[in-house]
Amino acid sequence: MAPSQAGYAPNLDKFLKSLKGQTLEASTESLIYLLKRKQVTGDECANATARMLLQVVAKSKWHDVDQLLARVQSTGSRLARAAPHEPVIGNIVRRVLGLIRDEATEDRNADEMSESVEDIQALSVPASPPPPRPHPGLIRTQTAGGSVVVSKSMFNLLSVADTADLPTTTSTPMSQAQPASVSTLRSEVIDGIEEIMDEISQADDQIATFADIQISPGDYVLVYQPTRTVEKFLVKAASKRRFTVFIAGIEPPHNGAAEAPYSALRKKLNAAGVHTICLASNGLMAYIPRINKVVINAKAVYQNGGLLVDSGSSIAALAAHAFSKPVIVLGGVFKFCPEDPSDQVKSGEQGSASSSVTYAEGAGVDALEVENTVTDYVPPELVDIYVTNLGPQTRHHLASILADHYKPEEMVLTMQLGDA
Amino acid sequence: MSGKGAKGGAAAAGKAKKAGKAGAGEEKREDVLQAVIIADSFQDRFKPFTLEKPRCLLPLVNIPAIEYALEFLASNGVQEVFIYCGAHSETIEKYIQDSPRWTPGGIISPFSSLDFIRVSDANSVGDFLRDLDTRGLISSDFILVHGDLVANLQLDDALAKHRARREANRDACMTMVLRSVAEGHRALEARVVTPIFVVEPSTGRCLQYEEMHPLQSDHYTILDPALFKFPEFELRSDLIDCGIDICTPEVLALWSESFDYELPRKNFLHGVLKDWELNGKLIYTEIVEEGYAARASNLPMYDCISKDILERWTFPYVPDSNMLHDQSYKRAKEGSGIEDGVSIARDSKVTKSVIGRNTKVEAGSSISRSVIGRRCQIGKNVRIENSYIWDGAIIGDDSVITRSILADSVTVGKNCRIPDGSLLSFGVHIGDEQHLVSSPSPRISLLTQDRHPVETDISVVGQDGKGAPYQERVEDYDEDEEDAGDTDPAVLQNSLIYSLAHLNLSSESISTLASEEHYDDDDDLGSQAGSLSAESRTRARLSSFASDDSAAAASKSDVFHSDAVHGLLDALRAEDSEDFDSAKLEFMGLRLANNASDSAMRRAIAVAFVKRASELLTAENGGLEPTKAAEETFTSKRGAVKFIKEVGVGGEGVAQQTEFALATQKALLGVRQLETTRAGVLLAAMLQQLYSLDILEEEGILAWWGDKRASESDTMNKVKEKCRVLVEWLENADEEESDEEDEDSD
Repeated sequence: MAPSQAGYAPNLDKFLKSLKGQTLEASTESLIYLLKRKQVTGDECANATARMLLQVVAKSKWHDVDQLLARVQSTGSRLARAAPHEPVIGNIVRRVLGLIRDEATEDRNADEMSESVEDIQALSVPASPPPPRPHPGLIRTQTAGGSVVVSKSMFNLLSVADTADLPTTTSTPMSQAQPASVSTLRSEVIDGIEEIMDEISQADDQIATFADIQISPGDYVLVYQPTRTVEKFLVKAASKRRFTVFIAGIEPPHNGAAEAPYSALRKKLNAAGVHTICLASNGLMAYIPRINKVVINAKAVYQNGGLLVDSGSSIAALAAHAFSKPVIVLGGVFKFCPEDPSDQVKSGEQGSASSSVTYAEGAGVDALEVENTVTDYVPPELVDIYVTNLGPQTRHHLASILADHYKPEEMVLTMQLGDA
Repeated sequence: MSGKGAKGGAAAAGKAKKAGKAGAGEEKREDVLQAVIIADSFQDRFKPFTLEKPRCLLPLVNIPAIEYALEFLASNGVQEVFIYCGAHSETIEKYIQDSPRWTPGGIISPFSSLDFIRVSDANSVGDFLRDLDTRGLISSDFILVHGDLVANLQLDDALAKHRARREANRDACMTMVLRSVAEGHRALEARVVTPIFVVEPSTGRCLQYEEMHPLQSDHYTILDPALFKFPEFELRSDLIDCGIDICTPEVLALWSESFDYELPRKNFLHGVLKDWELNGKLIYTEIVEEGYAARASNLPMYDCISKDILERWTFPYVPDSNMLHDQSYKRAKEGSGIEDGVSIARDSKVTKSVIGRNTKVEAGSSISRSVIGRRCQIGKNVRIENSYIWDGAIIGDDSVITRSILADSVTVGKNCRIPDGSLLSFGVHIGDEQHLVSSPSPRISLLTQDRHPVETDISVVGQDGKGAPYQERVEDYDEDEEDAGDTDPAVLQNSLIYSLAHLNLSSESISTLASEEHYDDDDDLGSQAGSLSAESRTRARLSSFASDDSAAAASKSDVFHSDAVHGLLDALRAEDSEDFDSAKLEFMGLRLANNASDSAMRRAIAVAFVKRASELLTAENGGLEPTKAAEETFTSKRGAVKFIKEVGVGGEGVAQQTEFALATQKALLGVRQLETTRAGVLLAAMLQQLYSLDILEEEGILAWWGDKRASESDTMNKVKEKCRVLVEWLENADEEESDEEDEDSD
């Protein structure tokens, strides 16, 4: 008999398995609808996006970097539009775009480095921060597809510089150079995306390694609806420290649920000698004075330090702030968005009405207007420490993390991406 | 019983075939989930809109309804889809072909195949499923849904349970997915008939199925006494039946065995459960407590589902998920969904509404709990509440629209009042200053029921208006959609408002209707009073009984009647066999099993033979003359004559003969296709035939002629009148005979 996991409903695993056999367009489309139907949500989005973009790089036909960038960007923005409340998708797209630019620049540099030192000196000029606008006509001759996109891409600037400014040095014409560089670029970008995927999958573990620094023996730690990241964090801390965990935001068990909520986590913690106490969400406030710190999981961290969190966590953060208790936020670097939260983010995503009131409620369905906000925005003032896979950070340090991971082009480019 | 033996044999053969197939396609069976969408409802509850557009393409919150059904299947990982279209099949096919997402064979379609099946002569869902059985497209379990389904359920659980039951017992052939809701829920109030499922709670097995509806005067249903053998059972009327069935291919075989089943619930489910001792098939229910499922099966349900979508019960199928490719809804404040390119004046107010692209709302207007399509123009100081306005409508300044549906391109002039329950069909124009009358709720269309343009009724739509009130003719057999007659319970709901006001619900009128129902043509369920028949028949008899025991007896005789009639008719229709003896045996068995009275038997036999005779009159069965038909009916099968004589008349006495003649007369009145005069001719022919076959004697016929009961009503009289010639001839013959006898004796 078919095991229980062999259900028919599509999900992330099935999607990933189907990637190989399907055309690019078909997989893009099926991921878009998985996102729209919320069959892929939360942290799964990051992985799915990376895998999807990997397919775009590997499978789609492209002859130069501009085409590749355009492909990645169009697929990326379609995914981002399908799930406007998952900013992680946009982050991954930005990272991949940045990666492609980096690799292309490296390629180019490596090529030219071997040819002449003069080239590099010449190149360093257009690469400087306020890039001089090249003549549009030149770009037109350059871009192979004949599109008149005036791109700010660094590579474009470089290649224009190659052919136009330094015609004598183009001993390797583009046409000949492409085949080799396309395939090397492809494999380099694929390697890069795989690195991003590794980063995503390892983020939780890496964050957990900082647990014992954050949690001291004897602490009373409040967590609100712990996610996998928070669970790992707590379990890791429990291996070295003795403390007490308050689990807040527990919903009444669903019909037919085999176990009480978070029972797996509680078993693990109890095994390590850490006590757990479950709180109904409305009882949270009463315990705040007793608590030392609050650990919450971020769905995304914005450039101003604000957070996108699952709804409810913001109450815990607010309460902790009111009592001057530190709020520790867990989130991998891939969750850091190089943008400010939009109004839509601040007002929160509306989820299904039926998760708070059942549809079977009879007359209630008519009488009630159910607004079920599934995400909250936590303003930066409420957050004290951001624990990333690169270590604990403060708000003031976020800008440098963003600068390390995103290129200025993408910051501009992808403003439209989440918005469109 | 021979009947049982034959059925068992067929089932065994079916299993053998299945097993063979399963061996070959084992791998396929595991992987591919198939689904069948019934995209025609054979009902006209959405008229006048469905004159121009099929029900499943009517917009439900600006998305054609069928999109929800397809998306539901895609979200459950269905791979192969078959769509059965009836009316408007070209429109539906074109829609799917043109849709970027579902185009069959398109690379982005989530389905590996999507096929349309057209059945030219289908009159019911039953015809579709019987057709599907003959095609052999279904290789394993499949999901049967309707084109107007909106659901966000995940079926994996139900599928796994269904499969487990099936592994345990081959006869577990179907699982119905039902949603339970509490009393007073709007989805319960919006439905036409109240389905009643008798469920064994421990296993979920469905034991009996009945339907009740407001036109019924007794508000109870009758349980099969066999139910009490089960240790426990639940009677549930709190279930939303959204028509999602997980079926095995055997279900199709069951449909094929019963040529006269039309409706999946009322006929098929009821019938199969009733006969489960014969067919041994088990049907289960999967009652879900979470998730959303409903069918836009009538206008109140349309209203209910639209509200549910607006209030996000159907999540993730909500406007801001933008399920269609070209949609760009965003959630705005006050719980609305607004698409790009909408312009709303600053001092107009939009609450809990959805507004499509390029719609313009001018100053001072207020829109609440409504759905506005694309490219609409809404003037100044307009008030729109609880209404559904489809694409391209123009609403003039100062108009008020409440609880109405305005189809595509409707124009409403300035300062109009469109009251609760109005339905304005495609392209209707309402002139300035028109206040539509609110009762009965206005239905205005440019087309008549036959799809001819109407003559504009200026008194209703105003000087520069277009359209006229839509009239529904009571009976219309030529229509390819369902001919729901005047007593389809859906009449209660031909507007958005649930109202019993305009129906005369006096109990007398219903019980007379019901007593005629005794002889009613059971096959003709879709038509006039058909949907009433089962319940009302029972009720009519109940009125004469007092105790519960006799109620049970009544239900038994009811069961006996329909079974007996079908059994006899089958035997009479059978072309390959000349023999009537097995039918007789079965009939006697049924009689014993149900302890049927002589009069019940007489009635059943009369109805069966009369039905056969009237069938022979129709064109598709040869269009015989009444005399020929009568002869054919009685003499084509060996043993039929003897059967009538021994069982039908049941004795030599004049009284019994009179009763049989009377039964025949009443049975003829019950056959609907027959006009009264023609029924009379047929009656004369049949009586003559019975006379010449020595079943009835002169005395019997003459006694019937003189019997008061034979001329109770006008129609009875009319039918009877046709036999005057025969009676006169009999009287003369009598005289002549006696004359002859006299002569002989001389």
